[in-house]
Amino acid sequence: MNKDENAKTYTAVDQMIISAARQIKDTDVVYVGVGFPIQAAVLAKNLHAPNCTIILQNGIVRASLFRLPYTTDTMESQLSAEQLTGLFYVNCLGQAGHLTLGFMGGGQIDRYGNVNDHVVGDYYKPIHRWMGSGGANDLMSFCKRTIIILEQSKRRFPERVDFNTCPGYFDGKPNRRKEMGLPPDNGPVAVITDLATYSFEDREMTLKTVHTDCGITLEKVKAELGWDIKVAEDLSDTEPPTDEELRVYREKIVAERRIPPFMARPREVKKQD
Amino acid sequence: MDGKVMNMKEAVSRNVKPGDLLFISGAQHGTPSAAVAEIVRQKINHLTVISVLNNTMPLIGEGLVDKVLTGYSMTDERRSYPLQRARERFNVKVEFREYSHFGIALALFAGYTGVPFLPTKGHVGSDMMKYNENIQSINCPFTGGQIGVIRAVVPDVGVLHVQRCDAEGNAQKWGTLGVDFEGINASKRVIITTEKIVDSSVIQRDPNRTIIPGFRVNAVVEQPFGAYPGHLVGCYNDGPMSFGGMQGEEGWENYINNEIYGVKDWNEYLEKLKGVHGDDFLEKIKIKKPMLSEPIITGM
Repeated sequence: MNKDENAKTYTAVDQMIISAARQIKDTDVVYVGVGFPIQAAVLAKNLHAPNCTIILQNGIVRASLFRLPYTTDTMESQLSAEQLTGLFYVNCLGQAGHLTLGFMGGGQIDRYGNVNDHVVGDYYKPIHRWMGSGGANDLMSFCKRTIIILEQSKRRFPERVDFNTCPGYFDGKPNRRKEMGLPPDNGPVAVITDLATYSFEDREMTLKTVHTDCGITLEKVKAELGWDIKVAEDLSDTEPPTDEELRVYREKIVAERRIPPFMARPREVKKQD
Repeated sequence: MDGKVMNMKEAVSRNVKPGDLLFISGAQHGTPSAAVAEIVRQKINHLTVISVLNNTMPLIGEGLVDKVLTGYSMTDERRSYPLQRARERFNVKVEFREYSHFGIALALFAGYTGVPFLPTKGHVGSDMMKYNENIQSINCPFTGGQIGVIRAVVPDVGVLHVQRCDAEGNAQKWGTLGVDFEGINASKRVIITTEKIVDSSVIQRDPNRTIIPGFRVNAVVEQPFGAYPGHLVGCYNDGPMSFGGMQGEEGWENYINNEIYGVKDWNEYLEKLKGVHGDDFLEKIKIKKPMLSEPIITGM
């Protein structure tokens, strides 16, 4: 497939999920949250990382392949797992240093990788509120590497978050994690959005690639950030999805997205069909 | 005759008291919906509820909850009709204490093990510490650095729904356990609701699966489909939400009157739901291809 044809057949969100999946190594033990993270993890397991182990917060440990579930805990995500246990157990695995990768979304993320899943504005009189940490603080505290996947907008990428749910590198100065009592060598290593991918250089979010094949420009990326982003010396174009990645993505992820029965209302069911 | 087996009404009225700290089990798996409905029906109020991926909204919307300990909940009144309703109708402004999931698990684990707090490498440096007095950071006596500590939670009463339990309360649940083990074992009084009361020999042939022993249990209620509309491994899959949404006054009134106040118990509610989803809706969600494990071998 040539590039033009390719561009017509995938969106920036598709690129985001596929780019995220590429970050998972075959040897990883990856703790994933609901939404984009679990989609990326199941995609990776179907592609280049068949041996990765996927951990879901409720106590599901999966080394074997499974169908994309509509939420983290379902009959299917539990069926034929290698281990079913509890939330305490899987987080102990993390705290003791056995989880190599954490994959999560977030409400907001800032320049030094701190994630906000609580409030915009004052805690007691917020402008906006999310549902809270869930497992996000655990994941960012305990996993060796944490990768955050979220759709990019200026609102969601402030220079400093109003509320630090999941500390990344605090104010960016060295040793902050250690001073606070967090495992010092852990922390965010990448941010993947629908516009670009970022790494962390000296604890600061750094632009690595731009989804140019989706029509995204450097100006667009910068316009959707709340500070003047540090740009990597080797800034490049995001590698577009390969035919194989797109084929598996469509078959194993897009075609498997479903609404849980208890969330489906008659009208929505029709729309989905 | 063992006095533990009773109906839901009795189990709840005997064990759940106004002002209790209540543990509801079943994080996304096998939450005791039938027991929660009965607590609402009996209007037991001033509760503090521990919420980990379970449905506490019926309790909140009826003004029965003063405080929620949670890792993940809708805490914004503008986006939650139950919270609005609690304040407007019942003059209850629900307080939240927010943790990460592991924080709640640690608090319950501390309660279960009988210690006042547990140390952790998580939560530290997070702004959650500023607004939740139950999370602190101390100097580690062994390593010298900072370490987080989470205060123990000891629920006055815990409710757990399981696949099987005997008349003594020896309860067995399988599938994901969320914070079930820690939470139910931390609880002072324990209500077990079960799909089926089984003979004690069934329990005794696979005793590793018992997650709380009979002597810790106060009440046993046999309640098929007690976790509907959630799923329960080995029994049934997720079902449709019964009478539609719980957002907005009309939806809520419809829900609360049809599902809770308008029926005498869970069985009558399930019967009534046939009118909405068809006579066979429960048959439809039952598992179709049961998969058996190898038997666990014990014996002499």
